[in-house]
Amino acid sequence: SNDLNKLLKEEQEYSDFEIIVNSPENIKSIFRCHRAILSSRTQYFRGLFRSRMKEYQEGKVEFDNISPEIMLQILQFIYNGKIEINQENAIELLIHSQKLLLFDLELFHYLDQFIMD
Amino acid sequence: MSRKMILRVPKFQEPKRMEKSEAQRLWLLLKDAIVEVQHMNASTLSFEELYRSSYSLVIAKRGDILYTGLEEVNNHHTKNLLDKIAQAVDERFLIELNSQWQQYKLQQIMIHDILMYLDRMYVKEPQLKVFDLGMFKWKQNVLIHSQINDRLVRMLLGLIHMERNGEVIDGALMKSLIQMYVDVSLKEKETYKQEFEERFLLATSHFYKSESNLFITNNSCGAYLKKVEIRLIEEEARIKQYLDESTGPKLIKACEDELIANHMQTMIEMETGCRTMIQNDRFNELKLMYRLFQRVENGLVHLKNEFAGYVRNEGHKIVNQPENLKDPNALITSLIEIRNRFEKTLSQSFANNRDFINSVNTAFESFLNENDKLSESLALFIDKKLRGGFKDSNDQEIDVIMNKVILLFRFLSDKDVFKKFYEHYLAKRLLSGRSFSEDLERTMISKFKQECGNQFTSKMEGMFTDMRLSKDALDGFKNYLQTSVEMGKLPKIDMSVRVLTQGFWPTFPPHSCTLPPLLSQYCDLFTKYYCHAHTGRRIIWQTNIGTAEVTFRLPKKTHVLALSTYQMLIMLLFNDAEKLSLKQMAAGTSISFMDIQRSVKPLYSGKYKVLKRTPAVEKSKELSENDIFELNLNLKCKLHRIKFAATSQTDSEPERQHTRQRVDEDRKIEIDAAIVRIMKSRKALIHNDLIVECTKQLSSRFVPQTSMIKKRIENLIEREYLERFPDDRRRYRYLA
Repeated sequence: SNDLNKLLKEEQEYSDFEIIVNSPENIKSIFRCHRAILSSRTQYFRGLFRSRMKEYQEGKVEFDNISPEIMLQILQFIYNGKIEINQENAIELLIHSQKLLLFDLELFHYLDQFIMD
Repeated sequence: MSRKMILRVPKFQEPKRMEKSEAQRLWLLLKDAIVEVQHMNASTLSFEELYRSSYSLVIAKRGDILYTGLEEVNNHHTKNLLDKIAQAVDERFLIELNSQWQQYKLQQIMIHDILMYLDRMYVKEPQLKVFDLGMFKWKQNVLIHSQINDRLVRMLLGLIHMERNGEVIDGALMKSLIQMYVDVSLKEKETYKQEFEERFLLATSHFYKSESNLFITNNSCGAYLKKVEIRLIEEEARIKQYLDESTGPKLIKACEDELIANHMQTMIEMETGCRTMIQNDRFNELKLMYRLFQRVENGLVHLKNEFAGYVRNEGHKIVNQPENLKDPNALITSLIEIRNRFEKTLSQSFANNRDFINSVNTAFESFLNENDKLSESLALFIDKKLRGGFKDSNDQEIDVIMNKVILLFRFLSDKDVFKKFYEHYLAKRLLSGRSFSEDLERTMISKFKQECGNQFTSKMEGMFTDMRLSKDALDGFKNYLQTSVEMGKLPKIDMSVRVLTQGFWPTFPPHSCTLPPLLSQYCDLFTKYYCHAHTGRRIIWQTNIGTAEVTFRLPKKTHVLALSTYQMLIMLLFNDAEKLSLKQMAAGTSISFMDIQRSVKPLYSGKYKVLKRTPAVEKSKELSENDIFELNLNLKCKLHRIKFAATSQTDSEPERQHTRQRVDEDRKIEIDAAIVRIMKSRKALIHNDLIVECTKQLSSRFVPQTSMIKKRIENLIEREYLERFPDDRRRYRYLA
């Protein structure tokens, strides 16, 4: 799973999809990702690729109002199941993972534990 | 855990306020997009935007606008499609329907993807999921619409009918259209079952009913069976090709009912049917019939009964055929032959099915015991084989025949009768030195031993022991003679004696005769020698089964005659007389007149005649005691040694009678023993129970007659082994 993380952070050569994030402060960040991983791990991306709409054609998707740190955590979770949760990011992570229907990845379970504590 | 969390979300996140106009805007955005999707123009839409819109509506608790809106859009769209499809004519109809359906399904997947958040977070039972809603609308507005459903089913069934008649149809199209019924079924494939499957099965039954009736009337049973097999394979392929797999068992059942179950009786009885196949050993056709009948309920019972009936009938013919009644060898050979034949049928056609084997065995048991001479015939058959009939067979062939003998033996109900005859013929073989091989004798006996246990063969084995011990005794006797004082006074003869333990050997009918003095002296010497070596034993001479060699001097030639002891005695009389009547012979030898008759016959009526009847009379005429015989001095024979049969027949009727009587005697003892055994353990028993129990105990050896058991009970009461209860005459008590 470390290798998958490496894939996300360093090996960009085989990337075939970009996730563009506009932070609340309107700073743009780009994550170079892999369709195969995204679609096999999440319902949201499976639908996005399957329906062959604009994002599929252009090879990118844009999310507004999400900070790159949160996005990175979510992607790390998608890629290798690891996530760093703390006081600052818990609520934000919850909101965005819920939107993307990441329940299957048991992210909610972690968040639930954290918030309960 | 995740579910628990979903409920807790509102605590952290107050739903954003959303103006009605904003909600309306989002819905219109989505509606336009859905319409675009329905027109296959989705590639310029933004998935994220649409997804986000549906997400926003749901978290703002406006999911209802979206859901009801979707229902309307689907409703509208499917109604439009109906018109378009219904207008298509002839074959275009199926193609149009299929292509619209394929598109519609893809669209519904896309709509589901866009509205994923709605689907997961808003839709609750009994509302339909987004995709199912799409399917439902298609079913309601297109598929089961009166303009579509009936037309579609009729066309599908029409195509299947064509295919069954050998035409080629578009399997992929069939699969897609039939699968549509499954796809629109919300649970348990109910639409598929109601709208398609039921009518399909009905059409199938109908098709095969008329086809099978026609085909079987115009073709042979074999051809029909092959047709059925092919039809079943085709239908199996049909299931895989375009039907839902749940239809498989029902379809096959319908075909089996029409093609097999409804025609079983015909296939058995028709001229080219089962009976003829069995008669002519048509193994492959029977095998096919077996395989097909096996598929339907009670199918094998029909086939089995027919086969068993045939076996019984054939066996009945063999055991009652006049030639076979006369010739035990032919009888047993034919029985082994049909057994082999039916075993072949069983293994080649009926997969050695246990039930079939059992019913064939039952049939054998029933016809084998129809013929009360079978026990004896079987013993005679083995006798012939062991006297040299096995000469030209190798070990394996011999083993096969022996096992067949054991098999037939197993079916005999009167095994004790067989045993008596077997012992009788074994004794004869051993005493006349006619047994071909001791190894084979022992092999045969060991097979009986395996089958019935020690008790059955102990006497037979005793005979072999006696033979060996006799040889030792005889050697000892010869040594004794050389050293004996008396020996010097006697002329030398070569005497051979066999010492038979009473009990092991069959008791031969008692006969008596007067031996010539020389022989008599030798016998006395042997008795003296033997009783000295084995104190406490008594020797009874059994002269009637002995043999002798006698030198016969003719004017020009000398012969050696191999004779029975009796024949020797008769011939010796002619040393002192020229002519002798039978009466005189009997007087001179003390042999019974009947034995004289039987012994003389081979001497004057065989191929070589050492005696002649004077005056010459027709051969066939019965002998009377005044008939006169003299030596035939004109005997012409190139052989030096001439062998004569001991009696006119190998085994005469009285001898057979004697054997049967002995069986009866033995049965009395067996029954007595059984009754005593039973009563000893039960102490008291009602008459009928005793009869049943007794019959059961003895069944492995013979089937006792009830009247015989009754007599034995009476006898045991007289001998005070049992008594009747004074108050209940039907009950017996054991007296210790």
